[in-house]
Order: sequence, then structure tokens, then C-alpha cells
Amino acid sequence: MKSKFFVSAMTSLLLACALPSLASARDLMVVGFGGGFQDNARKHLFQGYATEKGVKITDDVYNGEMAKLYSMVKSGDITFDVIMVEAPEMVRACEDGVLEKLDWTLINKDKFIPGGTSACGAGAVGWGVSLFYDQARTPQGPANYADLWNVQKFPGKRSLRSGAKMTMEIALMADGVPMADVYKVLATPEGQKRAFAKLDELKPHIVWWKSGAQPLQLVGSGEVAYAVGYVGRTIKATEGGAKYPVQWNTLLFSFDYWSVVRNSPNKAEAMKLVNYMTDEKPLMNLAQDWAVSPATAAVANNPEVVKKNPGMVASHAKEGLFISTDFWVENGADLEAKFNAWVAK
Amino acid sequence: MVTKRNLLAAALIAPLLLLVLVSFIVPLGATLYRAVEDAEIPTILPNTTTLLRQWDGKALPSEQVYHSLITELRDAQEQQKAGPVLNRLNFEETGLRSLLLQGLRASGRFTGSTKEGLIALNPRWGDPQFWGLVKRSTGPWTPLYFLRSVDLKLGPDGAVVPTAEEEAVFIRLFVRTFEISLTVTLICAVLAYPIAYTLSILPQVWTNIGIMLVLIPFWTSILVRTTAWFIILQREGPINALLISLHVVDQPVTMIFTRFAVYLAMVHVLLPFAILPLYSVMKGIKPDYMRAAASLGAPGWRRFLRIYLPLSMPGVAAGAMMVFMLSVGFYITPALVGGSGDQMISYFIAFFTNTSVNWGIAAALAALLMGMTGVLVATAWLLVPGFRAGGVRV
Repeated sequence: MKSKFFVSAMTSLLLACALPSLASARDLMVVGFGGGFQDNARKHLFQGYATEKGVKITDDVYNGEMAKLYSMVKSGDITFDVIMVEAPEMVRACEDGVLEKLDWTLINKDKFIPGGTSACGAGAVGWGVSLFYDQARTPQGPANYADLWNVQKFPGKRSLRSGAKMTMEIALMADGVPMADVYKVLATPEGQKRAFAKLDELKPHIVWWKSGAQPLQLVGSGEVAYAVGYVGRTIKATEGGAKYPVQWNTLLFSFDYWSVVRNSPNKAEAMKLVNYMTDEKPLMNLAQDWAVSPATAAVANNPEVVKKNPGMVASHAKEGLFISTDFWVENGADLEAKFNAWVAK
Repeated sequence: MVTKRNLLAAALIAPLLLLVLVSFIVPLGATLYRAVEDAEIPTILPNTTTLLRQWDGKALPSEQVYHSLITELRDAQEQQKAGPVLNRLNFEETGLRSLLLQGLRASGRFTGSTKEGLIALNPRWGDPQFWGLVKRSTGPWTPLYFLRSVDLKLGPDGAVVPTAEEEAVFIRLFVRTFEISLTVTLICAVLAYPIAYTLSILPQVWTNIGIMLVLIPFWTSILVRTTAWFIILQREGPINALLISLHVVDQPVTMIFTRFAVYLAMVHVLLPFAILPLYSVMKGIKPDYMRAAASLGAPGWRRFLRIYLPLSMPGVAAGAMMVFMLSVGFYITPALVGGSGDQMISYFIAFFTNTSVNWGIAAALAALLMGMTGVLVATAWLLVPGFRAGGVRV
């Protein structure tokens, strides 16, 4: 009895040790920021490529935290292949050797709008944040950032993104700095002090959010009255029945890029996937289901797409502020540290 | 004593020791070593490092040093290795990243010597203190991260000075972290005591039900429980609805994103850690002692203070230590239900690890946190009577 148990225990232990060696090479992995965009991208972009080429593709979600990428490349155990990154993070990761320099023989560089490519990234989507509120609870809400600071006229809590990027530009715009001068002012120490002083005014009324779903949840549950949140999700919520008017004059926008992780075992396939995901036809398919703001010229300038997607960031680019990649690559680490120190006071 | 029995025991424990060493102590040590390691510049700019180590530090370095820095930095940039150097220097002093990149971009157009070209481009290149800073960064070790963790830094001439007001946040955070943790530990200890006592004296059937009531939330995911508090405490949530319907308040009370919510959620999550050790110790206290004391004429409160409390102290100690050590490292709960003024040091460790990818300062903060926690626990161990296991004075 005892020895039978022992034998079976040892056998199962040995089998368990052998199992990992039976695992096959992994599928191509795409990592994005989640939300409705990724659900629709899975259908049209990832599975579109998978069906065409007969390759298996899995996707996952992350919150923009780069440490996982860095430790992956350092340890040599790469589990991501294609990743969507925000512009300053992409530039910094490229400098740090964590992303591959893209092979422009595998990706057609000419199809992008000006500024739609970078050494390590191919333009994926435009995105933006803007002011919004629940019209059912607040019939007339703030129309611009100066209004957002007016707590007498517009009482209630506000929700802003927890981070220096975008929040400091908003503070300066609320203080009266014109859009064209925001980064000039923010580059100076006086400008930064001015932004923090303006934020100090509103601090007791601010609820900070970290993930894209939070501002919608906070406004929807009535926890905050006005929020600055991702335009794509706000519009999707409006299509779903909520009344969240987007204030387009408060838009801050930028582009996300598809990048390939350094030393990925599926490097060539990953770059071909990036090329597919930025091609006209797959993006037109995606545009049927999701309000895309592509960096591919043919789609971004297509009048049908523009008409169907009032939320396309590119169409509102003139009203909004482009979040300067160069500024944030230079000053990001420092300002984020200052912001965290300020917020924790 | 080296007996056969002891050797056998040692042999049986050896695999576990090996596992703990390899999978825990060694990686932990390697990560914490980053707090003092200064390997970016020696690895990526080796020639410049050698030259700078030979430089006396007084007048400006020679043209050779300038040229070497620019050349090695350019090579690094081509191989996508320049980032760590730029970030390391920029962390010590903001603006150095753009200074170096500007110099790099312009250096292709220099007609004369690199040294003259750079100084003409930006006078900082001709500042011996800048080069002193770079020389200090050639490693192999640096006090930069530990100093920054206590809001100090090395001034231009190498002396230790406090950091700017707008960046000095860590000492305040450490104080806040221990303040919150000690409060939560105290509340948990006070709440857990009567619960554990009741559980220990109930008949077995009721005890089992009670233990289940403690364990089932314990097994539920922390994230789920913390999010549940958000739903309960929100403006349009059940508590506010109840308060308004009972006319206790007119307006919904703000409970979420406050220190109150942090205490509430943390105590909720950590209470089982206090109850279970207390319960197991109390279960082992023989009722005979209490009866003997009663028969000798001691009133209830004296029986409790002189007999029961000291006997249950090891359980209190175990539970309090666990709760304290867990709450010191808490990150999710204050981040989800606390306001911006309730974030603890672990939030920053996570920020520096994940978002900023500055593992030097993250490691320094973590090492300091570990050290301070260790000192506090050791102090409690030594000073509080009965804290040591089995510290009973009968």
C-alpha cells in the first residue's frame, strides 16, 4: 500500500517535470491598452492577419507600464512580440534598446501621415482626452478648462489623470496660456511652478484616475461631476445610451505606435503583422465597428471614414493640443517625479 | 551537536534552504544591490570612465576626455544603448539629458576641437562641477539613490545637501506609511482580541462556523474586496442612501478617497491575519489557570490582566507583527480607495519600478523600508513585555 502510493507519487512528479519540455513554441503575442479598441482590433486586425496567413495570434492587455518590457528584454525571456506604446515611452524605450528598430522593407513607410512613423514605431491610432460630464445629471457643464476650475459655478468633484503628462498642460490652459505657447511656458521652471500653483487651487476637488475605464465609471456613478477622459471610450459610452457630450475644444491628442519588442523570437512575423495592421483594408474594416483615428493616410483622409467617425482625432486636430512627444521625452522623468511629490503632499 | 539525528534533520532541511536561497535571497539581494550599483557609465562609456578616473578633478579635463565622451555616446546611441546613461545623469541633475543630446547632435558639425565646440555650444560643458558629477557617476558604487530616498543629494562640490522642496517627499511618505500601518495594527489587535476570545470559548460547532466566517473573506481576492468598498462607500452607495433616508445628513457624505476609507479597507483585509494566530494561542490557554486565580480571590479584571493577557501575548505579538509587516507594504488598497494624500511609500516603489523604470531608487526605497520595519519589529521584540514567544510570567 505504502510503496504503491510512493511509486505513483514519484511517477506523477516525474511527469510534471517533463511537461514543460513538451510545450511548443509560443504564438505571436500582441499587447495593447485594452478597451473597446482592442476588442474590435482583435476581430479585424489580429484575427484578420491570423486567417490570411494561417498564423496563430493571441493578445493581452497592459496599462502602459514599461518595467515588464525592460525586465523581459534584460532576462532574455521575451513573451511579447508586438506592443502598443505611447509616443514618449516609445522614444525612450527605443533609446534604451528595449524596442526593435523597425525594418522598413517589411513595413511600407509611405502609407503614413507625416509624423506617423518613428525609428521604433509605426503609427497605430490617434487618441485624445477631453472634458466630459453626464448631461443627465448636469444639463450645463463646463465648456473649457478655465470653467473646470470655477468651483462656484460648477460645483462637484473633478477627475483628472494621475500623472504630469496632460494634467500640467490642462492647468496652464486653465490659467490662460494659449495652446500654441503651452510647451514653451511649461519648459521653464516658472511655468512649472505656475502649473502646480494652478493645480493647488483645484486639488481638494480632484479625484485622480489611473486606468481609462475609471473616469467613465466615476462620472457614471455620480462620484465626480466632470472628468477628463479618453475620447474614444466617451463616444462609445454615448453610443451606448449615456449622455456625455465631448467638449472638442478641450482636446489633447497624440498617437500610439505599434512597436516590436527587442530580440523577439518572432521578430519578422511581428513586423509583417504591424504592416498588416496599418494597411488600408484592415483599417477600413475596423472603421466599421470602431471610431478609429489611424495614422495611415489613405484611411485618415477617406471622406467616408471621416463622416462616419465624428470622433476621429485627426479631424479635430486643429481645435486641440498635440501632446508634444519631444517635450515629454526630455522632461517626462523629472516632471512625473515632481508631480508625484506634489500629489502625495 | 553533530549527532546522526541532527545530520538527518539538516539533510532534510537542506533542499528547502537551497530553494529559499536560490529563489528568494539571491534575487532579493541582486535587486537591492541596484540601490548602490552605478554600472551604467562604466559599462557603456568604458574609455571615458578610465580617463575620468585619472582626471584630478580640479581644472577642466583634456580634449581627449571630451572627444571620448562624444564618440562613445554616439556609438551607444547607434546600438540603442545610450538611454541608461542619459537617464542616470538626468536623474542626478535634470537637464543633463538634453545637454548631452544637444552636444551629440552638434558635434558632427564641429570644425575645431570637440572641447571648444561643446563649450561654445553651452557653457555648462566648461563647468568643472559638471565633470565632477560625471566622474562621481563612474561608479562602481553611488550613494545617490539612498541619499535621494531620505530627501538629500550631493551638492555641486560633493557635499550632502537637502533636495529641493518640490521633490522632497520621501521622509514625509515614510512617516505616513508607519503612521497608517501602526494605526491599522492597533485597530486590528483591539478588534481581533474579543473575536478570537469568543471563538476560543464557544462550543466546537459554533467555533467552526465562526472560523469559516473569518476564512471565507480571507480567501476572497483582495482586489475584489477593495473594489467592493468603493461601491459601498460611494456617494450614491448604500451607506449614503441609508444615512439620507434616516435624515442623519442632508448631503451624501464623502467617504471614498479619504483616510477613513483606507483604514476601513485595510482593517477589513488584514483582520483575519490578526484573528487566526490569536485564536490558536487562546485555544491553548488552559481554563484551569483562570479558575485557580478565581479560587484565590482575584476579581475578573485582575484575572484578565495578570493571567490571561500575558498568556495571550504571544498571539497578540504574532498577529500584530503580521498585520504590521503586511500593511507597511500595502499598495493596492490605498491606491484604490485612498485620496492622493493617503498614498504610502509602496506606491512610489511601484511607480519607480513600473512606470519610471528607475530601479536604483526603487531598490533604495525598498531597502530603507525593509530596514525601518526590521528596526521597529526588533524594538517591539525587545521592549514590549511578553512579546517574545513564551514570554510568560506566571
